[in-house]
Formats: sequence, C-alpha cells, structure tokens
Amino acid sequence: MKISINLLPPEDIALAIQRAKFYKIQLIGIIIILTMIFLTSLTVALRILQGRSMAPVQTKVVAAEQRVSDLKSTQGYLMLLKDRLKVIDQYLGVSSKQSLVYQLMDKLIPPSVIINAISINQAGVVTFVAIVPDSISLDNLLSNLTDQESNDGQIREVSVESLNRGRDGFYRISFKIKSEIL
Amino acid sequence: MKKEIIKFYSKYRLYIFPAIVSLSSLFLIVFAIYPQTMKLIAGQKSTEKLINRSKLLDIKVAALENLNDKDLSRKVELVLNALPPEKDFGNTFALLQQLVIQPGFSMTSITVSNSSAKVGNSDSFDVKLELKGPRILLSTILNNLDNSPRLIRVKSIDVSSNQGQQNVDVALALQVLYAALPQNYGMIDSPLPELSQNDEGLISTLESIKRTIPATAESPRGKSNPFE
Repeated sequence: MKISINLLPPEDIALAIQRAKFYKIQLIGIIIILTMIFLTSLTVALRILQGRSMAPVQTKVVAAEQRVSDLKSTQGYLMLLKDRLKVIDQYLGVSSKQSLVYQLMDKLIPPSVIINAISINQAGVVTFVAIVPDSISLDNLLSNLTDQESNDGQIREVSVESLNRGRDGFYRISFKIKSEIL
Repeated sequence: MKKEIIKFYSKYRLYIFPAIVSLSSLFLIVFAIYPQTMKLIAGQKSTEKLINRSKLLDIKVAALENLNDKDLSRKVELVLNALPPEKDFGNTFALLQQLVIQPGFSMTSITVSNSSAKVGNSDSFDVKLELKGPRILLSTILNNLDNSPRLIRVKSIDVSSNQGQQNVDVALALQVLYAALPQNYGMIDSPLPELSQNDEGLISTLESIKRTIPATAESPRGKSNPFE
C-alpha cells in the first residue's frame, strides 16, 4: 500500500496546480497554432502547384483558339451553309399553296369544260369562269367540286356566281371556290 | 513598466494565452486558410473548364481540318444560288426565262417590283410574269417554279383564254426570295453545326436541279468570299 503525503503548504499546492493547468493550455495552444500554420502553408502550396499545372492547359487552349481562328473562314462557310439550308428546306420542293390549288382545279375540271378564266389570289379565293357544253359535263363539274370523295375534302366552299344557258346550248358559269389548302 | 506587464501576464496568463491562440487562429483562418481554400476550389473548377474547353476546341479543330474546302465552297455556292444575299435581278431573269421557255411557254412581259417583303425570315421581291402557252403545260411551269434552283414562291395565278383556243394567257405573281448574309459566323467556342442527312439530300437536290437548268449555273453576284 502506497501512502502519499503532501507536506507542501496549500498556497504552493494551488500554485503547482495552476502551473500544470497552464502547461496543458500552452501545449494545446501551440498544437492549434502549428496546425493553423500547417494548414495555411498547405493551402498556399496547393495554390502554387495548381497555378503551375494550369499554365500548360492554358497554353494548350490558346494554341487551340489560334488554330480555330485560322480556320475561321471554314467555320463561317459551314455556318452560312447550315443557315441557308435551314431556309431552303422550308421552300425547296414544297409547292406553293396557289400551285396546289391550281393542280387541284386542273384535276377536278372535266376535259370537256372550256375554261375562260381561272384566278387564284393570295387570299386563297379561286375565281373560275368556264363554258360547259352540256348538262352532263355541268353535273360532273359540280359534283367534282362539291363531292368530298372527288375533291378529297380539299374544297371548303363553292359559290356559283352566275349560270346562264346561251342560244348555242352552252352553259356559261362562274364560281368562287375556297379551298382547304389555303 | 516591463515588470508590471510580466506580473500582469503571470497573473492572467490562463486567460491571455488562450485568447492570443484563438485570435491568431481566427486571423489565419479568416485571412489565409479560408480564402486560399476558396481560391483552390475555384481554381480546380476553372482547370476542369479549361481542360474541357481544350478538348472541345481540339475536336472542333479536327472537324474543321477534316472538311474538304473545295466541297464546302461548292456547297456554299449552290445554296447561295438558291438563296442569294442580294436581289440579283440578272440571274433571276435568266432563270425565269429558262423555267418558262423549257415547257414551251413564251414570256410576253416581266415586271419586277423593287420593294421588299418578308417571307419567313427571308426577304423577297415581287415579279409579275405574263406568259402565253398551252394550258396543259401550265402545271409543269408551276412545278418548275416550286422546284427552281432559286427559291421562288407563287403568289397568285391568273389564267384566261379565248374560247376554243388551246393557248392561254397566264399572269403569275411570284415572290423571289433572298436573304442577307448572317452577321455572326460563330465565335471560337460556338459549336460547329453538322450537316444532317436531310441537308446532304437538299444539296443533292439542288445539284440535280442545277444540272437540268444549265443556264443558271452562274455564280451568285456579290463578294466571292463573304467573310473577307
């Protein structure tokens, strides 16, 4: 059994405890300061290394930029080509609506019908004046224009403006037609 | 004085030392560690960006270098014939004459309007054609116009004929398209457009149309190199 007897006066004991406490604090403080200094040095060193590793990449980018600049006119040609093709795609080989309407009328008018005038305006109204030799042709013409099966549902409205029968037995007829195409 | 300071420190060192350590650490964190770490993170991001940019630029350079300059110039010439940067009346007249005469029509008059109108993103000027010819061939003319090597839209059609005559008088109002050259031909970083199959198809169509109408095989007017 170990018996420890401290014979020091109480003031000295308090002083010794205070000193031991301070040494502990001092040790911890120094560790903290050293850690901070280490971290500071580490970040600064990493920054320097990073700056050095960035330099060759930057040089490479500048070189690539220069090469692209040298090929600027090729790039310009390609951009122009693509830009123009976008517009050409919208119109090339795409029939104008007026052409489509004319072709539709051409298909629907029986060959026996003599066309005096046909006009397709920008608003899409077809004005049509014709001479029809007989009532069968007239029937055919009217049924073609009004029957959805014959005109594939592409005619919205047919208005007969005038219909006369002359002494020669020919019918003179004028229409206004609105097409679904327009 | 010095002795007093030492005495003061000895008395309160338990508080003064930790305070000095804390303040120093705080100072290092605020003025060195934190800003440097932030810069390090930002630097890492910008390095990654630079590497990616470098890769993209390399790919772009390779793609540009692989392009055949002659082939590209030929394609550009074709599309500039189809949609020139200027009105180009001379070539338009020659082309319209070809498109009309080929099917057997004769042109009695041609009227050109100097005013411009917008058709989509392009500009256009009006041309009025007065023609004479067999009615049966009018569809061919309309088809020719719709498939012309220069972009042309039919605006209105007026056909009139005398009774019993095969020939008809036709008045066609047309819109001939043109478009100014783009202002921006792309920056260094802008992605390179690729020609799709559809684009190549369009170019082939333009080539075949051009072959059928040899009189229009002129180069467009204006600068030979629009990028100069």
